[in-house]
Amino acid sequence: MTETIHSAASLWLALSVLTIPLFSALVCFVISEKFAWLSPMVSSLLLFITFICSAFLFFQVGDSHALTYSWPWFSVNENIIRASLLLDKHGLIMVMVVSLVSFLVHLYSIGYMAEDQALIRYFGMLGFFTFAMLGLVMSSNLLILFCFWELVGFSSYRLIGHWYEKQEAAKASTKAFLINRVGDLGFLIGLMILWSWLGNLDITYLNLETIPTFWLTTAGVCIFIGVIGKSAQFPLFHWLPDAMEGPTPVSALIHAATMVAAGVFLLIRIESLFTENTLVIISVTGTITAITGAIGALFQYDIKKILAYSTISQLGFMVMAIGAGAAQGGFLHLLHHAFFKAGLFLGAGAIIHAMHQAYHHQEGNVDVQDIRNLGDLRKKIPITFITFMICSAALAGLPFTSGFVSKELILTQMNEWSGNAFSWKWLVILGAWVVTLLTPVYTFRMVWFIFFAKSKHNVEMVEVPIVMRLSMFVISMSSLALLITFKPFHILTIINVLMSLYPNTSHLITLLSTLILLIALVSAFFMYKNYELKDQNKFLTPNLYLDWLSDYAFKLVLQFAILVHWFDRKVIDKIINGLTYLQVGIAHVTGWSDRYLVDGVVNGMAYSAKGIGSVTRSLANGKIQSYLLWAMAGLLIFILWILY
Amino acid sequence: MRHLLSYLIFTPLLAAVVGLLIPATQKNTFRVFALLISIIQIVIMVLIALHYEHHDGIQLSERLPWISMDLGQWGTMKAEYFVALDGLSFPMVALSVAIISIAVISSWTIEKNQKGYFILMLILNGAIMGSFCALDFLLFYVFFEFLLLPMYFLIGIWGGPRREHASIKFFLYTLLGSILILIVIIALYLSFQDPTSGKVLVHTFNMLHMQNPENIIPGSILSIDSTDLLGPYSYRLWAFLLLFIGFAIKLPAVPLHTWLPDAHVEAPTPISVILAALLLKFGAYGLLRFAYPIFPDGAIYFSWLVGFVGVVSIIYGALNALSSKDLKRLIAYSSVSHMGFVLLGLASITVEGVTGAVYQMFSHGIISAMLFLITGVLYDRTHDRLIANYSGLASKMKVFTGFVLIAFFASLGLPGLAGFIGEVMILFGAFLSQKANGLLPIWMAIVATFGLLLGAGYYLWTIQRMFYGPFSVKIPAAEMNDLNHREYVMLLPLAMAALFFGVLPQTLLNFINPFAQQFVEALFKSASFINP
Repeated sequence: MTETIHSAASLWLALSVLTIPLFSALVCFVISEKFAWLSPMVSSLLLFITFICSAFLFFQVGDSHALTYSWPWFSVNENIIRASLLLDKHGLIMVMVVSLVSFLVHLYSIGYMAEDQALIRYFGMLGFFTFAMLGLVMSSNLLILFCFWELVGFSSYRLIGHWYEKQEAAKASTKAFLINRVGDLGFLIGLMILWSWLGNLDITYLNLETIPTFWLTTAGVCIFIGVIGKSAQFPLFHWLPDAMEGPTPVSALIHAATMVAAGVFLLIRIESLFTENTLVIISVTGTITAITGAIGALFQYDIKKILAYSTISQLGFMVMAIGAGAAQGGFLHLLHHAFFKAGLFLGAGAIIHAMHQAYHHQEGNVDVQDIRNLGDLRKKIPITFITFMICSAALAGLPFTSGFVSKELILTQMNEWSGNAFSWKWLVILGAWVVTLLTPVYTFRMVWFIFFAKSKHNVEMVEVPIVMRLSMFVISMSSLALLITFKPFHILTIINVLMSLYPNTSHLITLLSTLILLIALVSAFFMYKNYELKDQNKFLTPNLYLDWLSDYAFKLVLQFAILVHWFDRKVIDKIINGLTYLQVGIAHVTGWSDRYLVDGVVNGMAYSAKGIGSVTRSLANGKIQSYLLWAMAGLLIFILWILY
Repeated sequence: MRHLLSYLIFTPLLAAVVGLLIPATQKNTFRVFALLISIIQIVIMVLIALHYEHHDGIQLSERLPWISMDLGQWGTMKAEYFVALDGLSFPMVALSVAIISIAVISSWTIEKNQKGYFILMLILNGAIMGSFCALDFLLFYVFFEFLLLPMYFLIGIWGGPRREHASIKFFLYTLLGSILILIVIIALYLSFQDPTSGKVLVHTFNMLHMQNPENIIPGSILSIDSTDLLGPYSYRLWAFLLLFIGFAIKLPAVPLHTWLPDAHVEAPTPISVILAALLLKFGAYGLLRFAYPIFPDGAIYFSWLVGFVGVVSIIYGALNALSSKDLKRLIAYSSVSHMGFVLLGLASITVEGVTGAVYQMFSHGIISAMLFLITGVLYDRTHDRLIANYSGLASKMKVFTGFVLIAFFASLGLPGLAGFIGEVMILFGAFLSQKANGLLPIWMAIVATFGLLLGAGYYLWTIQRMFYGPFSVKIPAAEMNDLNHREYVMLLPLAMAALFFGVLPQTLLNFINPFAQQFVEALFKSASFINP
């Protein structure tokens, strides 16, 4: 299916799509503080060029065969790891989505971040993120993909911690990176398995027949653990709500449209790797995530956290779809979700921005992200209202929106997958329907309290700057199904390619899901019409105890580390010191024995010689009498000796 | 051009002698002089790189008779001045030249007895070069012991408050390791003969001869058919164990690592840099150069032990780093963790693992140098290294924070920076080992990955505590200025190198690959010769 790129134009386009965002990041980092105001314009312009290039690339390659291009990166043990580009249908659509959303977010940020002190850092990291994300989407070697995968995590870390002077932001960024790393370990182990069996990590050349089923399943599950981390699946999703500490455009780009979707995209890329058992695990994890995320979204009060839980739920929905044989629908939903969720975040950002401006002159500190402090905004900021409504409709899955189309497709394909006989698969299907029921409910709740319910505070508000409105408008338009399902511009390849993704959906399912949608909306209306939002629901809000669990795990590791450190300082080091002291002690003993025993003997001999000397010396005292006495004594002894 | 290596080794040693003639009152001449020597060495290194060809043999070799002693019926003892480079020593020598130059620049602020300091630095310089180039075991040993002496004084005189304790601990520990190595050297001397000498029995220290088990004297203490046992193991296995322990002390591997945190905390910044970036490498270098090729049977027999010590070091070092309150101690423990990776890669005896181990040695040299310079920057400003005393540095020291991020993320193994390539190859090799040669169980590689997680943990937590949050420094009258020019000049090349070798690893792998392939091949070949 793949062939090497023959047209140089495609290659150059692909390379420029990849390098222009990186260049944008470099420009931002070398620009001097004095010209910091230039960086938003320059990087937005560069990202626009990227988008144009990606569109050209898409038309150039179009619906034809996938193209690859590779060159050696490094070699080990005669295996060459090749840095390779893979340009196929899925990848190229994704490239377009990433560059378009990224461009719109850049444009939006010009307005949103206008008063920020660290524009250079912000736009630099945004450009770097786009580069890493595009690299992830285009690379076909799993090791290179892993590299970009980690780089994406790094830029997410930097951007969540953009306002690092706030403790919460600092903590949230650390948490996001660490939990992602847990997943990445799984990914890495998966790569280790593949490497040890195949000696090659290029997706297009994986020879899966040589690897035993057990190891293939294990590798698939391990890589899926990476997806769990990056795409915020159960049980590693609680970093995502915390990641909302970052600037809102960042949440739109990274934590809704692109990075968190990278996991889902990876699942589609390496679909051939998954065995039956792996797919079971994937679909069940996805279902659990989708339901818990939707329930979480029902009980949040912070706009951004509602959207974050909704993202978790939607990502779970996609993962479930891929596990349940609806990969095509899952991918389509990924694209649609990227636009409508980014649109919702940009809308939320506009609300926050406008409210901030409104409260700028007032005393007191009002949390402008809390939906309990909002209300009745539809007349004050009408354009934001309209774009937000369109995107919400797509999220809820209303007909004539993009969300409706992909939801139908997923449900249809899953229906075919489950078959008629009752099995565990029906539980997954049930989960999917529960999510389609819950999604409109929480969407309604969010929209109702922001735009319709009575406001407690009455403030004058003005619409956000034109650049922000423009990007919100473009992004919400792409959520309308009209633009992509009907065929007004038949000549454009984009439509043809996208159309090939839309098969016929069954009428029964369309009917059923519309019915469920109606029930959900009507019941939500009556539920929330006269409802007062109370204080935080303590039972469900702290990320379903996962926060507590991961904090506890961290504390446990830390306590263990402190224990180990104590052991190191007090036991190992003391033993070593003890050995030295022992040696010093032995040295003292030998020193003592040297001084008193060995030396004592020597000294003793010397003293005895001295004593004997003094005795003999005293004999020679120079007195004639004593000489005579000794001579006589000597003579006497001599005579006695001779006689006997 | 034939004597480039000798120039590299003896330029600093000669300069040390010349330096002695300069009167001590000429204070600042010494640092300029030392820097000049480093620049000369960089030029020589460039020439060496130009003359180096990528193949698996040794290059630029110089052989001169050194000691030749006729011992009558005991044969002849022969030691040579034999220096050369191969794919293992080239990266190490290049790293040494670079790191020492940076250490000299970092020593610019030394005020106390400059003459003594810089002359000791020059001696250290020459001894390091000599140790990495020597291919005669006795010559290596002489150079290696020679470098401990200046190190002892540099820590003991120019160090922190507990410098005497630290320097004596450092010296005793490494001396113990050296003695174990010396015992093996004597046994090797008794057991190896020079095959080129004909009928005359010539005992040799030449590494090329020692790598070939055919040169073992039959019936000698280390001969391959000896069945004598000392306790559970044969003499050959004991000899491998002694070498392993001796080099593991230098590496350092748990539980023989406790000299490292003390030595690092007390040593002045430039000495910490040399200690971490270069001296630790001698542990791994010794294993790769001597222990493994000479005793392939021991290497295979004890691979489980070596791998286990590696994994324990990875996790144990990382946990200790996590709970360290002193920034320099944290970094010292992170070195233990990263050197554990080297041990794991080596134990796997796969091409991936060995390549990764050498790559990790090189990248750790760059990254740890950067990390210690970073602590030096803070210490120069406040004379305090406690993590809890800083907060929000990022808002005051922007450029510095940039370098910290590069160094920390390189050390925790972010792709695109040098630390990643080595660690990933080591993990691949360790995992492959069970399938390829059955030496290491799979769980070792899997447990080792947790080192990456813990690494991210302690670095990010440090960033969160010291650099994020509102700015405050709990040290009175401390001026937290951003980097000055000298600090910038030291950190920038290292940061660029960390990036370069992360993005274009092939530049270094061109040297390492042939070595690693030949290493693994030769090791299994002589192992099968020993145990057919």
